[in-house]
Amino acid sequence: MIHLEKVSKNFQPNVNALSDITLHIDAGEFVSIVGQSGSGKTTIVRLLISEIQPDAGEVEVGGWNITKIKKVQVPLLRRQIGVVFQDFKLLPKKTVFENVAFALQVSGAPRARIQQVVPQVLNIVDLSDKLHRYPQELSGGERQRVAIARALIHRPKVLLADEPTGNLDALNTKDIIELLLKINEFGTTVVMVTHNKEIVNSLKRRVITLDRGLMAGDQRVGKYVI
Amino acid sequence: MFLHALSRGIIFALQSFWRNVWLSIATIFVIFLTLVSVNFLIAVNVIADSAINVVKERIDVSIYLKPDIQESKIAELKTRLESDSQVKNVVYRSPADNLADFKAKHVNDEKIKETLDSLNGNPMGATLIIKAKNLKDYPVILRTLEDPILNEIIEEKNYDDNQLVIDRINLIASNIKRVILAISIIFIIISILIVFNTVRIAIFTHQNEIAIMKLVGASNWFIRFPFVFESILAGLFACILAMFFIYPLLSFTQGYIGGFFGGADFNIISYFNANFFLIWGAQLLGIIVINAISSSIALSKYLKV
Ligand SMILES: Nc1ncnc2c1ncn2[C@@H]1O[C@H](COP(=O)(O)OP(=O)(O)OP(=O)(O)O)[C@@H](O)[C@H]1O
Ligand SMILES: [Mg+2]
Repeated sequence: MIHLEKVSKNFQPNVNALSDITLHIDAGEFVSIVGQSGSGKTTIVRLLISEIQPDAGEVEVGGWNITKIKKVQVPLLRRQIGVVFQDFKLLPKKTVFENVAFALQVSGAPRARIQQVVPQVLNIVDLSDKLHRYPQELSGGERQRVAIARALIHRPKVLLADEPTGNLDALNTKDIIELLLKINEFGTTVVMVTHNKEIVNSLKRRVITLDRGLMAGDQRVGKYVI
Repeated sequence: MFLHALSRGIIFALQSFWRNVWLSIATIFVIFLTLVSVNFLIAVNVIADSAINVVKERIDVSIYLKPDIQESKIAELKTRLESDSQVKNVVYRSPADNLADFKAKHVNDEKIKETLDSLNGNPMGATLIIKAKNLKDYPVILRTLEDPILNEIIEEKNYDDNQLVIDRINLIASNIKRVILAISIIFIIISILIVFNTVRIAIFTHQNEIAIMKLVGASNWFIRFPFVFESILAGLFACILAMFFIYPLLSFTQGYIGGFFGGADFNIISYFNANFFLIWGAQLLGIIVINAISSSIALSKYLKV
């Protein structure tokens, strides 16, 4: 599902955000990416959604080589990959429903489809009773669930989560991780960047460890080792 | 799919228009001023042209023939003049016509009346009134009339040279046009800058939305379209406003200039109406093109996709 082949990325001549990273993630996997601050985790996420291009190496997502993807194709790629971030990136003046619907609106979906799909997805993340709340009327965990619902709206093959629980307390964190596992069970490949040691250790899933832009570990049933 | 995206883009544009409503109003106002000055330019052009035409219409050469010339000779001269390629037409006025005119003119002058009555017969000759096709042809026509043979039958020539009036109108009109043209150009430049800045500010106010749009896979044109559309919308509003402003102004102007044209059938409003689609269509198209270009430049500069 995801292939990185000898990928390097330098933002400045001397800053090696990533050097010579090779990794393969199969469809249906649940992978955690860990590493110290500045080790290149977010850089991998940005490469996968083609926000940046690698300086060297090849990037492939869902059998699609996106190393030299054309600008007009980037939106199509992004509809196949859901992304969520630590800061949720919700629109404050839109309700829960509208925030999720927004992702369909901008891809030109008809109203009827929006009315049908949005409640379904919000049901998956268990927010059916808060459709008309505004983000500031929600808890952090609920906000992240809205963001996840939005990321799922196009039924992506891959869900990327860059520190999805970074702003959440223990209880909300547990909720979100359970939700991600549930999404993974439905068949979506989940890649989660995280700093949370307990979560990683309790998941007992694959863990990729980065250290200053280099691969420092890739374990089937991993532990948080840094 | 496309129509849904289009209607959504229009809704986003309207929302954005509303969000920076004061900025939108300022933009519309500046475009409005631009259009008004362009319309002034058109109106001055039309009025000057019509005024010159009216004056040109009044120019002619009258030949007063001696009273004892035979009709057949006059007809011959008339045909000869008419065959001249520079001549538009020749009007014949008989001695009787001229006498009647003269009498009508001096109906209150007893002395003239007495003198005329004391004469037997008509002391007046016939008149030929020559109109040239072009103003510059009059000197040529006058020269052909210098022919000594003609001199025997012509008593007097009268050429009303209105060239001075025409030159004056031309001068005044071109001065006014130059000023308005300069104002129009300044307004057009201001419009371009304002539209550019409006779009720039709109991009900044929508930064979050744009980032999220990109994240969820909105196509580039979908992200750009509302901004371009918004600027086109401003042009449309300004155009409509300009229409509501220009027409009353034209009818006001018509009241003043109508007198000058006297009997001539000239109406600035009917000119604008007759050329409605040309005048307003060209302006709308022009302003849309200007706005689309300047907003596109702003987008390519500030909207990194
Ligand atoms: N736009 C940029 N310009 C210059 N350097 C950058 C840029 N983005 C990232 N970097 C650098 O690249 C390196 C990797 O950054 P990245 O964001 O991938 O780290 P990270 O592992 O996500 O860290 P964190 O855990 O703090 O989020 C860092 O040294 C960072 O300073
Ligand atoms: Mg990061």
